[in-house]
Amino acid sequence: MERILDIKDLEVSFDTYAGEVHAVRGVSLHVDAGEALAIVGESGCGKSVTAQTVMKLNPMPPARIKGGKIDLCGRDIVAAGEKEMRGIRGQLVSMIFQDPMTCLNPTKKIGKQLTETLRKHKHLSRKQCRAEAVRLLKAVQIPNAEQRVDEYPHEFSGGMRQRAMIAMALSCNPKLLIADEPTTALDVTIQAQIMELMQEIRDKTGTSIILITHDLGVVANLADRVAVMYAGKIVEEGTARDIFYRAAHPYTTALLRSLPTVETARNEELVSIPGTPPDLYAPPEGCAFASRCRHCMKLCRHRQPPQFTVAQGHTAACWRLHPDFPREKEGN
Amino acid sequence: MEKLITLDHISKYFYLGGRQTLVAVNDVSLDIYKGETLGVVGESGCGKSTLGRVVMGIYHPTKGKLCYRGKEVNLKHTGDRYRYSEKAQIIFQDPYASLDPRMTVGTIIAEGMEIHKLYDREKRQQRVYELLETVGLNREHANRFPHEFSGGQRQRIGIARALAINPEFIVCDEPISALDVSIQSQIINLLKDLQKKFGLTYMFIAHDLNIVKYISNRIAVMYLGNLVELADSDEVYAHTLHPYSRALLAAVPIPDPDREAHKKAAVIKGDVPSPINPKPGCPFANRCPYAKDVCRSVSPKPRELRPGHLVSCHLVDADGNYSEANYKG
Repeated sequence: MERILDIKDLEVSFDTYAGEVHAVRGVSLHVDAGEALAIVGESGCGKSVTAQTVMKLNPMPPARIKGGKIDLCGRDIVAAGEKEMRGIRGQLVSMIFQDPMTCLNPTKKIGKQLTETLRKHKHLSRKQCRAEAVRLLKAVQIPNAEQRVDEYPHEFSGGMRQRAMIAMALSCNPKLLIADEPTTALDVTIQAQIMELMQEIRDKTGTSIILITHDLGVVANLADRVAVMYAGKIVEEGTARDIFYRAAHPYTTALLRSLPTVETARNEELVSIPGTPPDLYAPPEGCAFASRCRHCMKLCRHRQPPQFTVAQGHTAACWRLHPDFPREKEGN
Repeated sequence: MEKLITLDHISKYFYLGGRQTLVAVNDVSLDIYKGETLGVVGESGCGKSTLGRVVMGIYHPTKGKLCYRGKEVNLKHTGDRYRYSEKAQIIFQDPYASLDPRMTVGTIIAEGMEIHKLYDREKRQQRVYELLETVGLNREHANRFPHEFSGGQRQRIGIARALAINPEFIVCDEPISALDVSIQSQIINLLKDLQKKFGLTYMFIAHDLNIVKYISNRIAVMYLGNLVELADSDEVYAHTLHPYSRALLAAVPIPDPDREAHKKAAVIKGDVPSPINPKPGCPFANRCPYAKDVCRSVSPKPRELRPGHLVSCHLVDADGNYSEANYKG
């Protein structure tokens, strides 16, 4: 399969007055054509920073790429200058943000915003742009697209704004679509509509998707592969089924079990993860999850675990997966 | 069971000027029993928080009355309001906005006790320490300021503040939606422990249906200011009757790829209509797949179709079939 995005050992830091924040600490991941990869993690785990670095949307400074490589369709993103990035954004990769209200320009008509990328990249005329805008709005199932084209964002509801954002992101048929918490600001019934739309788009256009979210339900619905991030590192990666049914990292298991499902009985105690995530000003020396982990060993506090292969395409960074770790101990 | 709080045809309108009226809560009647957890679910703008604030006595209802242990509470009467506030407390959604940044944690927790003239100064201090330990913090935290704490810890402070005056009843207004997944379960477990320990009654407002199901004894589903369904929480899931509740339950993504793939698509079309000057008839009529003419003209009243199971729908019968024949003027 064609590889769309390949990130190797990416490290991103932010220089602040209080010191250097190690937001992303050596992340490697890849996305193939037509595939949906979900990046899951709590707030502050670096999932958004990773995705934004692919588009270089972080202002630099204070952000700084300390190391690593990003290869997007054969283009070297780390080395690319601002001018080159302008040709890449919208054309090869585009992004949908969490809050559709703050990401649309309130003073511009929807149709005009929608086709900004087309005018930039494809040099279409005004008339062609308008026709294209109507077609795009229809494609994302906005009713009365002909009238809606001339409306302003405040006249749209939350769900419709998110649809307009998706239409905008898709206007140049990008190879990769990054959706940063696309449904977090929406209600469940609207969320279901948007997820259905995203699935449809993927089936129709074959665009690869990176889905960033903390909602494991959304992940189960949309993702082929899942990468779980914690404190700036990927702790586990595998297919959706690997992660949901055969999770190997203690953080992933705890995360999955801390959610009540419809079947959870009321007298059952929820598994909670004690403590809070580590401070990324001074990331811990060993495994970042060690202080909250119920399987923590002496080694975990001093040495960072590398990625161990659990099965084909399923890796996890935990010392318990080391080939020399005594298996029979794993009773509980 | 003993009725602790009774809402009798409560409505709350906000007048926006220029003949515009926002109907936030419309004719809601329900009882809250002692020791139970009543979950209130609905999408944003459905009036669940407004209802919570009416129950708390922050807003006084436009119509209807609020009763505490069978006696009406007149929220416009300062004395009544003061006495009621000793019994009912609230935990807010946003742990960042709900704590005064210029007060120490100790002062925040002790404020309620001072207002209600409970205990003397030393006893109050002692109680602050106890409360901090009850909610899983340390007594040293009393002299710190809110900004020194993480979201989960702040929510614990908010809970300690609510517990300070020994209330009987706590409104939890989305207490976990601003928190991370791994912290959410800590707070849920804490709330459940406290309920057992102090025999508290909760009104738990949330939009996360799985969590509401987990924590509540009974669930009220709201839509556009109206109570559309009310029943025991297992009953709501096992025999969902209102079309909106069905759509809401079907829309919740399940963290399980196989089941998610086989879930039948029951996505409802369209958006929630505006609550300003609402049209007569069923609020859900414009999105409802079963809507008939009668739904667009006559507002449905809650009907008890199964024991303890109220539904506001003209068309549904006790087995969940929809037909105009079930409408009886």
